[in-house]
Amino acid sequence: MFAQKRLGKELSNIHKSLPPGISIASASDFSNWKMDIQVLDTNPLYADQIYRLNFKFSGSYPIEAPEVTFIKEDGRDIPMHPHIYSNGVICLDLLGTNWSPVQNVESVCMSIQSMLTSNTKNERPPGDETFVRSGYRSPRNINFVYDDNTV
Amino acid sequence: MKVKIKEWHAVATWRWDMPEDEVCGICRVDFDGCCPNCKYPGDDCPLIVGKCHHSFHLHCILSWINQESAKGLCPMCRQKFEVAA
Repeated sequence: MFAQKRLGKELSNIHKSLPPGISIASASDFSNWKMDIQVLDTNPLYADQIYRLNFKFSGSYPIEAPEVTFIKEDGRDIPMHPHIYSNGVICLDLLGTNWSPVQNVESVCMSIQSMLTSNTKNERPPGDETFVRSGYRSPRNINFVYDDNTV
Repeated sequence: MKVKIKEWHAVATWRWDMPEDEVCGICRVDFDGCCPNCKYPGDDCPLIVGKCHHSFHLHCILSWINQESAKGLCPMCRQKFEVAA
């Protein structure tokens, strides 16, 4: 109930306006939305690329954080970033220990967009291969250590 | 001419003493509305103001504060959430 009402409000706002570089790919129910994001400056790592974010909401959203990952779909790739694993899992404190219920889909998209914009490293997180092979799909099951404030 | 009033009906409106158009940051419903779990606004679904001056529907902030990951912090400013006296 909580999640549905809140997401309904978010959706009607999102349909009215979204910041540049962010658009809805699909939002047909209140459990799973897909958002497309694009980096707007000339960062060569992400130039002319569109990436797709998958949002999974539990019934307790926004008290509980949504699960947000990049997905490969419609030719979208997983962006190269030292905090983004090649299976699309994003290591971002905002989506974990620093989640706040005043965050919303739009603000999360903007945070991830700026995380890409400011990145200059063409690399994956350390241990990416092992991590991806271990089959973690859900960021909720991971205890990330948010130790790197440089990117 | 004298008029004798035989009967009258009083009608009143109320609103919380809050800036208009402000919404609860947690559920995004107007402060004059109620949280998603309530049916009627007013005393059944009151507002609460923190020492940090951030306001929420009481029920909304409780559902946040009552879970461990909230660490007792205001969702807006991440200061300890304490009720303003």
